[in-house]
Amino acid sequence: MMYELFIAPLTETYFQKALIGGSIVAIVAGVVGCLVVLKRMAFLGDALSHAMIAGVAGGYLVMKLLFGAEAHAPGMLLGSLIAAIATVALISFVSRISRVKEDTAIGIMYTGIFALGVVVVSIFRHYIHIDLMHFIMGDILGVADSDLWVSAFVAATVLTILILFFRHFQLATFDPIMAASIGLPVLLIDYVLTTCVSLVVVSAVSMVGVILVVGLLITPAATAYLLCDRLDRMMWLAAFFGVTSVVGGLYLCVWLDSAGGGAIMLFCTLQFLVVLAVAPKYGLLARWLRLRNLVPQQVIEDILTTILRYKKTTPLAVVQQYVHSGKDITKALQRMTQEGLIIGNDDGYNLTKDGEKEANKVLRAHHLWEAYLEKIGTPEEQLHPTAHRLEHISDQKTVDYLDEKLATLEQDPRGQAVP
Amino acid sequence: MTTNRPHVIDVKHLTVSYQAKPALLDVSVQIGSDQLVGVIGPNGAGKSTFIKAVLGFVKPDLGTVLINGKSAQKAKGEVAYVPQRGAVDWDFPITVKEVALMGRYQQIPWYSTPGSEDRDAAFAALEMVRMKDFAERQIGELSGGQQQRVFLARALAQGSDILLLDEPFAGVDAATERAILDVLERAKNNGKTLVVVHHDLSTAAEYFDKLMLIKQRMYAFGTPERVLNEELLSNVYEGRLRIFSDIIKKGNS
Repeated sequence: MMYELFIAPLTETYFQKALIGGSIVAIVAGVVGCLVVLKRMAFLGDALSHAMIAGVAGGYLVMKLLFGAEAHAPGMLLGSLIAAIATVALISFVSRISRVKEDTAIGIMYTGIFALGVVVVSIFRHYIHIDLMHFIMGDILGVADSDLWVSAFVAATVLTILILFFRHFQLATFDPIMAASIGLPVLLIDYVLTTCVSLVVVSAVSMVGVILVVGLLITPAATAYLLCDRLDRMMWLAAFFGVTSVVGGLYLCVWLDSAGGGAIMLFCTLQFLVVLAVAPKYGLLARWLRLRNLVPQQVIEDILTTILRYKKTTPLAVVQQYVHSGKDITKALQRMTQEGLIIGNDDGYNLTKDGEKEANKVLRAHHLWEAYLEKIGTPEEQLHPTAHRLEHISDQKTVDYLDEKLATLEQDPRGQAVP
Repeated sequence: MTTNRPHVIDVKHLTVSYQAKPALLDVSVQIGSDQLVGVIGPNGAGKSTFIKAVLGFVKPDLGTVLINGKSAQKAKGEVAYVPQRGAVDWDFPITVKEVALMGRYQQIPWYSTPGSEDRDAAFAALEMVRMKDFAERQIGELSGGQQQRVFLARALAQGSDILLLDEPFAGVDAATERAILDVLERAKNNGKTLVVVHHDLSTAAEYFDKLMLIKQRMYAFGTPERVLNEELLSNVYEGRLRIFSDIIKKGNS
């Protein structure tokens, strides 16, 4: 059973090629994808992949009409690279000279060039034998040896560039102004990155297709982004998630007898969702736990003043009587003990020095608010409850203001000196 | 400043425009060494553009910027820069240590990796701003003042004699403002020249040796007493006069 599921596919040549080709592409796409995600140019990857069809058609036609070569792979590759770079140039041209913003310019240009490709392919359908469906959906299970070589070459080139100039890419992405100020050619670095992205996209389209390639570029990188606080680790992890997507997706595709590219991206997306849920620092679960453990400042302050007013070791029952906050109290008491505001023993709780200082601060705010409320004519029976609500606004500026406002008033309404 | 050393920053007739609108118009200023200079002016006065022009990041339409006698384009790395808080991606996967290490990037050849010397320099800079204990933190986890200090450490690690800071006091509390000012003053006493974009007129006189009042044009450059003068300020800030009377009193005292 295990053999059938896991080992048997590995003995098939098509599966081996898909695994190797897919992994190579996924590794380099993941690594480049980190920069794409951080530079917020995900949409650009999408644009590049769509523009490619015009390039492929152009390359095919030129090679066939001028040299008589049928489906000449390097010609098509060069064509798609030219189309990709032309798209980028057009996008930045339009967004720079006109009122149209960059996201719109990207949308216009890539659909336009994609449409041009589709029209050209259909007009010259007697000369060009391109399967549009193959182009759009990719065919990872039918990877040709030439595709493998192309992707290996692209991966080696792009990874070499990224490793050699890691610091340059890091600084130019993080702080282009500083990068320029120490003499890095920021614009050139940008162009190199765009070219790298184009190369990766071009080499990946034959496997996962135009629509899914952007997913391979950004999803593993985004998954890694949720787990890392360093760019180099993020790149390693993105490469890893890229490979797991390919492996997982290929098995999924064999077991379910589904489309290869689709299965890979589905697996990749599920992987992202799982990490999004459980990532220790930036995940949803962690966020939820943090929010749940958050003790409202108000409860903490109420406990402090309750103990201060009780003037001796305060039993839990007394705290519960004065602080109306149900189950938060136990958690708050724990937290306050950890933070060194109170000390607990069998009889109850006492304030530490820090706790006493905090409590006095709140109490002072309470008195000031009470005095202020009286001055503005609040009915006597509302004085205490309102001041009790307002005492939590006790930042220095507010307290100073109240103090100044009440400068003439020496005593609070109960006749105690304001501390 | 009675030294006869040449001016470390020498700006002449600097004019920068964005789409036919001048951001800076005919700004000339000469800043000597060991000074803490504040750049003040209303929003959109071209303060950040001035900083970027001195860095050589924006190209002037007219005029020259000389750093230690060399043109800004050639004087790469002689000026260090602390960006405005809003200009930084605080979610970027980078730690405090790595930001400080960036200050050393210029000294590291492209084929090599940061060595122990670079790490030591980065740590020394973090120590100087008392941020060493936070070395492994991601920068987004820090408070506003700590974030400012990390970028200050990066600028110090660069070892440049000229530091440009874009609104380092924006959005930090009073105590942090003091702490940052403290670092700036120590840097000044170590012979650095600091040019600081500042938005709070009420503290300008207290913090800086010299002030530079700009709104596209250069309105005044000199000691706070000279620059914080009622007529000038009302001219530049257009009639929001009343609030200035206090400031000017402070400046004169």
